[in-house]
Amino acid sequence: MGLETHLPEGILLTTVERAVGWSRAGSLWPATFGLACCAIEMMATGGAHYDLSRFGMEVFRASPRQADLMIVAGRLSQKMAPVLRNIYDQMADPKWVISMGVCASSGGMFNNYALVQGVDHIVPVDMYVPGCPPRPEMLLDGIIKLHEKIRREQFVERPRKGESMADFRRRTGWADDDTISIETPALTQLQTKEQVVGS
Amino acid sequence: MFNALRKGFGLTFKTMFRPTVTIRYPERKREPAPRFHGRHLLNRHPDGLEKCVGCELCAWACPADAIYVQGADNTPEARYSPGERYGIDYQINYLRCILCGLCIEACPTRALTMTQEYELSSDSREDLIYTKERLLAPLPAGATPLPHTDAAVAARGLEYYENNFAGQTTLAHLQDTYAGRAGRVEESGDPVAVAVDGGGTEPPVAGVDPVIGNAPERRPEGE
Amino acid sequence: MTDTAAPADTVHLTIDGRELDVPKGLLVIRAAEQLGITIPRFCDHPLLDPVAACRQCLVEVEGQRKPFTACSTTCTDGMVVKTHLTSDVAREGQEGQLEFLLLNHPLDCPQCDKGGECPLQDQTLAHGPGDSRMIDRKRRFTKPVPISAQVALDRERCVLCARCTRFSAEISGDKFIELFERGALEQVAIYEDEPYESYFSGNVVQICPVGALTSTSYRFSARPFDLRSLPGVCNQCSAGCNLRVDVRRGEVQRLLARDNMAVNEMWNCDKGRFGFEYVASAERLRQPVVRDELGSMRPATWLTALRAAAGRIQAAVDAGGPAAVGVLTGGRLTDEDAYAVGRFARDVVGTDNVDFRLRPRTDEERDVLAAVAGTLGPTYDEVEHAPVVVVAGLETEEEVPILHLRLRKAWRKHRQRIVVVGPVIGSLEEIAWRWIQTPAGEESSRLTALASGGDADLSEVTDALDEAGDRGVVLAGERLAHSPGALPAAAELARARGLGFAWVPRRNGARGAVDAGLLPGLLPGGRIAAEPGPVADAWGRLPEQPGLDTRGMLEAAAAGEVRALYLIGIDPVRDFEDPALAQAALERVDTVIVQDLLQNETTRFADVILPATAAQERVGSFTTWEGRRQPFPQAVAPQGLAQQDWDIVRQLARALGSDLGWETANDVRREAAPLMEVAGSALSRLPGAQGGGVVPASPERSGDDAPVSSERPSAGHDAPASSEPSPDSLSHQEAGGAEFPFGVVVVDYLVGDSTMLVGAKALKETARRPAVWVHPADAGRLGLADGAEVAVVGSAGRLVWPVRATSGVLQGCVVLPGNSSGQAPGLLGGSRVRLEPVAGTGGDE
Repeated sequence: MGLETHLPEGILLTTVERAVGWSRAGSLWPATFGLACCAIEMMATGGAHYDLSRFGMEVFRASPRQADLMIVAGRLSQKMAPVLRNIYDQMADPKWVISMGVCASSGGMFNNYALVQGVDHIVPVDMYVPGCPPRPEMLLDGIIKLHEKIRREQFVERPRKGESMADFRRRTGWADDDTISIETPALTQLQTKEQVVGS
Repeated sequence: MFNALRKGFGLTFKTMFRPTVTIRYPERKREPAPRFHGRHLLNRHPDGLEKCVGCELCAWACPADAIYVQGADNTPEARYSPGERYGIDYQINYLRCILCGLCIEACPTRALTMTQEYELSSDSREDLIYTKERLLAPLPAGATPLPHTDAAVAARGLEYYENNFAGQTTLAHLQDTYAGRAGRVEESGDPVAVAVDGGGTEPPVAGVDPVIGNAPERRPEGE
Repeated sequence: MTDTAAPADTVHLTIDGRELDVPKGLLVIRAAEQLGITIPRFCDHPLLDPVAACRQCLVEVEGQRKPFTACSTTCTDGMVVKTHLTSDVAREGQEGQLEFLLLNHPLDCPQCDKGGECPLQDQTLAHGPGDSRMIDRKRRFTKPVPISAQVALDRERCVLCARCTRFSAEISGDKFIELFERGALEQVAIYEDEPYESYFSGNVVQICPVGALTSTSYRFSARPFDLRSLPGVCNQCSAGCNLRVDVRRGEVQRLLARDNMAVNEMWNCDKGRFGFEYVASAERLRQPVVRDELGSMRPATWLTALRAAAGRIQAAVDAGGPAAVGVLTGGRLTDEDAYAVGRFARDVVGTDNVDFRLRPRTDEERDVLAAVAGTLGPTYDEVEHAPVVVVAGLETEEEVPILHLRLRKAWRKHRQRIVVVGPVIGSLEEIAWRWIQTPAGEESSRLTALASGGDADLSEVTDALDEAGDRGVVLAGERLAHSPGALPAAAELARARGLGFAWVPRRNGARGAVDAGLLPGLLPGGRIAAEPGPVADAWGRLPEQPGLDTRGMLEAAAAGEVRALYLIGIDPVRDFEDPALAQAALERVDTVIVQDLLQNETTRFADVILPATAAQERVGSFTTWEGRRQPFPQAVAPQGLAQQDWDIVRQLARALGSDLGWETANDVRREAAPLMEVAGSALSRLPGAQGGGVVPASPERSGDDAPVSSERPSAGHDAPASSEPSPDSLSHQEAGGAEFPFGVVVVDYLVGDSTMLVGAKALKETARRPAVWVHPADAGRLGLADGAEVAVVGSAGRLVWPVRATSGVLQGCVVLPGNSSGQAPGLLGGSRVRLEPVAGTGGDE
């Protein structure tokens, strides 16, 4: 049938994309970025009970240049926002961001002038973890879902298996680059001058 | 020096025989505490009617402004909850919700409770705004999908809230005398005229009183 | 207050150990308020008479056996009052009363619209018992019961405070609701076949201290704690009611009356309260639209639309000079808009073809309006305290309802003498002192007779006016324009006798338009074009030739002389007195620029549509009929791409190459204020009796054919003298005779077919049915039953409505509905008609 029938035992076939995704997902290096109470839970996730090293992620790097995952753990103040962006910029590509806890995701209960209302105003977020703070399982859940996402990452965006073109456009935002049109229901009922004169 | 090495490696060696504390999370999950604050659930009455009356008290109580409720009118043809009002739209934004449970305390009908589900992460902001369909408890066995008609609800004869005192007719004698005198208005078909219940002018939803009661409701066990 | 009052008029009392002097007759509950002590209450309302129905305000008065209700006890000298703060008797009394009120009150607060803003809820929390001893089943009623399309009644929640019934009896004077039955079954109800269709029914929803009366349109749409409340000013009529705009998620949820004792006190009318659905309606224009070369309408950007509009205006000016451009504005514009439009037309375009009057108009109006423009007063308070008020050409309840409530209050509290001059008395019938019955078109003669005082029949009224001195007031409605010489005559009456004079328009933007000079020949502040004064310095240029009024512009457009029409907030195809002329003009004219909120019959003629913002979506100020300028903030974001009218005008001016130098509405305000506002009263600026433009009233008519009515307005008047019928609809003097025996008065109903009421379904259901008002004697003579259809036939056309026989109309007169029918009866206004019964109809329906 295919190539695999002619290969000797012990050789697996895969796509480069999948292989790269698999290896990237298996060796995420998080940067330490504890901002508030969520950081305590993030540390707990690294501790013995939850043991982040089971996912190959035990070393929180102090230098952003050695990290490819930023866990924004806690509320982000306006003052801290440029620092966060700076650190994100210093991280090597490819890189991912987890927004841990509702304060990082949306400002949470702190709807005020001092806080950035969601870190996705500053950096692109790949995974939102709700909770205040999220318990370690919730963070692990987010990390596992992120792993899955990384594993399925494509070099070139194209519809996934079974994904309709419409869903694909929605997912990738292709449909949004048209000009913003505002519905004018009244407009459809407007007649042309000729029609009016004629009638 | 040797002693120190022995002590150090000894501890390492000993630890190998102690039970591991690591919870192998995705495969094995630790049971959360009984009163853990997880994802919300909008409960139903045993016959499938929603307990939520759309009062927005949860939204008021919410310190993070994560809840949006829109009330609407029950009609005799389309009834979603006992009483006049139901929540036509109900949304909880889990990007804002701090799972504090104040909404649960505020809920006057125990419509809103919290489950032990916590695996809520998502990469889409939209997905994290849970709408009524996702929050609503599944239909109880044997219940028909909503909306129900008033006739069907009345036929079931359920007491939705305690303190209805359906059996007592304290005002009965008053009602009888009134029904006699109010005849002129009743016969006219004037909507105002449908007077006190009893005396043949039972309101369409007998026993479906939205009144929460003036004594504290007994909380159901568990849940 | 106490320092200045004479000692004899004050009493000295002690409340909670604090002593104070208050005027005699003050209620204890008010005296306590002066000390900052709030005694709990439900039935008490500062504008309603005390009834002490709820018994919640119990206080202890030293030396008395039982506690007293503070809301019905007047202060007496040496009284020692102890409230719940210091007296156990009062506190226990109040707690007991609260428990009693709650016996049968359902605790369905989570479902109740009042929950969160409920006095009963608040006071139970503050003063009430923690628990109830009531273990029996509560009283049950069917609920909710609609008592009109817009008010729902829940009798279980009622605490029988009688606020609503007192409001309808005392304030609005339409007794639709009343308390029925006794004891535990006492309840508020309506009469069998009369739904609560008052123009003021929304007020009872607002003053209900519990959730017994709720609004059907607001029902369950929001909770009080979820609303953002902003101050607003009503945009529906010239009364200028202060409103509270309640907004949720960027949408107006409801409007409430905001307290302003100088204007609307605590009330407003249902049109102002419920007529806001148009703001977010689907009919709104949300995007600029431009007609392309092929003649089809295409959505456009603002830049494209403004350039297209400017290019077309420029083309018209190039082809026919500035006078080839006409600007017509409607009643919804704010003061800033009106000024901006006025300056745009005169300064930027250079045309004097500006008119805000789509309604019937006369040239002689201009001098009176010029005198009124920019002045303040007489105010509501001055009208209320006037001993005599002369009302002419004004149907207060239908046109300016809050002024009607004020007159009613003055009648009730101060025994005000209200004199109505005209063929219709309408809603003033109950409260009017004298009705000077005047056939349609002859108001000027009666008003002149009142001014000169020589008429023996009018001696009673003239004596009253003499007695009143300068405290009397003349209220002249804009309908006087139907009657030649009437408005100048009303002004002359005020001038000759030194009375206060107010011109009371119907639409809210009319007074601002007058102040801004949106009439041909008029400039801001009532300056006439010949003497521009400071306007000449403020503006770059002024038009050289005198302009045309609305009719003149449309005629010129139909003749091809006016090449561009700029229509701001009006719908001439539907509302102009002569729709055929309006349609012909719009078909003929090269360019129609429509700047409006809603799609209407005129928008289909448009070449450029510029969407404007509704009153709740913008900042600005409206001027009441008094001349009071009331600014208001923006409540919600505009729909679509709509912009404020002054801003559109500014951008259009820029596209035409003129920078008007405004950045915000405040800039317009700052520039306009010194030009539009004028010191002094209208009186001093009124033209003299022989002065410019005042048409002398026909002297031969001041005779005996219009007697002053006796105590109750009666109908003892014959049909006017006959002469040849005139084909000219505006020549009223020639009475109709046999062919057209009836003089026509057109009254615009409050809740009519206005485009601003789009979407307000419940409100429209309570609207008064359009009908032809005829005197019963006339109806009897013609064999017309009440409710039977009748054809109104005039020289200009034929319209059919049901008949309403009422003694509030003079014999020989008919009153036609103005805006309630979708028809345009304007052509018949001021003309003469005959009535023809329509076969096949009779009786009700």
